[in-house]
Amino acid sequence: MTDALFTGLSALALYAGWRVFRVDSMVRASFWLMISFIAVGGIGLLLSAPYIGVATVFMMAVEMTVMVLFMVMFMMNPAGLNPMMMVHQHRFSIGVGVVAFAGMTAATLLTDLPSNPVAAGKAIVHDLGIELLGDSMLIFETAGVTLLATMVAAVILSARTGRFGDAVEGSVPPGLEPGGTPAGRVPEKSGGHHHGHGGHDHGSHGDGRSDHAHHHEGDGHDSGGHDHAGDKEKHA
Amino acid sequence: MSLAAFPFLAFFLALGAALVVVLDAVARAALAGAPAGPYLAGTFRHAAMRLSGQLVTTEAPDRANWRLAPAWYGALAAAGLAVVPFGEGMALIQLPTSIVLWGAVEALVVVVVFLHGWSPNAPFPLIGAYRYVATGLPVMLPSMFVLIGAALPARSLDVLAIVESQREMWNVVRQPLGLPLFLIVGLSLTLRGPMDYADSADLAGGSSAEDSGPARAMWQAARLAMLVAFSAMAATVFLGGYLGPLLPGPLWLALKTALVLELMVAATHLLPRMPVSRMVTFLWVVLLPVSFLHLLAAGLVAL
Repeated sequence: MTDALFTGLSALALYAGWRVFRVDSMVRASFWLMISFIAVGGIGLLLSAPYIGVATVFMMAVEMTVMVLFMVMFMMNPAGLNPMMMVHQHRFSIGVGVVAFAGMTAATLLTDLPSNPVAAGKAIVHDLGIELLGDSMLIFETAGVTLLATMVAAVILSARTGRFGDAVEGSVPPGLEPGGTPAGRVPEKSGGHHHGHGGHDHGSHGDGRSDHAHHHEGDGHDSGGHDHAGDKEKHA
Repeated sequence: MSLAAFPFLAFFLALGAALVVVLDAVARAALAGAPAGPYLAGTFRHAAMRLSGQLVTTEAPDRANWRLAPAWYGALAAAGLAVVPFGEGMALIQLPTSIVLWGAVEALVVVVVFLHGWSPNAPFPLIGAYRYVATGLPVMLPSMFVLIGAALPARSLDVLAIVESQREMWNVVRQPLGLPLFLIVGLSLTLRGPMDYADSADLAGGSSAEDSGPARAMWQAARLAMLVAFSAMAATVFLGGYLGPLLPGPLWLALKTALVLELMVAATHLLPRMPVSRMVTFLWVVLLPVSFLHLLAAGLVAL
């Protein structure tokens, strides 16, 4: 029974992990990764790690949801249903994958793995708590505070009133084909009036910006606007 | 418990869902000052219309997730109910960390509701899905604090031990903030009343706006099943679960579950609903500190 469950969960983890790299959407990739982790959590339960196994499931559920939202926000791909290429650096990643797989397989096969089953009456969760708040406290607290700082930073970066001015300024959706016109609504020609107001928020481009805005809308933008500038030239 | 538990759990979910349908109709009728009969008949007519209706699809949806979302949701409800003990040692899933498993079910509900709104590839469902994540994730935090608080007197993460720790005094008495906070979590888990941000009428149905025919009926059924599972869990964690004199344990649990269901239906129809942005602020600025204080108080009492 345990062997069958282990085989099934391992197969699910591997299949879901493989799907992560084959699907064409960030949302699908994230949730395939979540399924892979849930299978690993199930294996954790089989290995008599009831807390870590179950905690893996809920941590991954929350984490993948947050990851999906942030990826969709930062990639400016509406909803993540637009097909997109999810892999890059093919040769390098294939090489790394082969080396990592060979290394880990070798490590697994060559190591003399111990076999000491957990005693039936052992207070596993209790012992884990003692470990986490005892010898390993420094490690876990450091990791926790680092993660918290990362989350706060991510929220600040994604906030509408961000460090680089209002988030609406200069955000242009990606084209439906490489170098194509931006997806979604095309900004109106009279947008220059609007940008003139934007200049007051962060004056790095000076007052000249609003003068040029009617002719080269893209020039005044931050890094996000470069694709847009190219499109405008084509239209002209 | 064995395989015989499966039909029993299904029966429990169906019975609870039927009770909610009746309670909802009664509540609507009472608010309108009208007899409940037509409201109840309307519910069944609506269900029959859905079940016999045509399945309409959108352009380029994620079909697998869209069709499977009600099944995932229902499966999560069943998994949540499987953790609930119906008597001494009578839980289908027995783990030393079964309350954490319930937490995992809650977290996965957010994923499922998001996928349900995301997969039709349409604006209203997607807005509903995003709204749900914005409100559903911050609700997870009070939920964890409340559940940890309930585990403190038991000194265990096992739901069975949490019930046994309430032999002297129910958790609803020694942790008075726990049940109200947990009910808010339940409203969010089942997309109801003041926490109805995913499927709300102001988005023309939100995450189920593009659902049609039997698919929509299935989604509603799954929501009812989750409501029953949640209520059984709330009754177990705060009202002593199967504990009680004279009557057998499962019956006590059923009665207490029915009581929580009534509270939930009342909250659905009586509590005001805030705009989503104000609700997000409320969740982070008010509810999170309150639940933290609750955990602190529960810890001091448990010491």
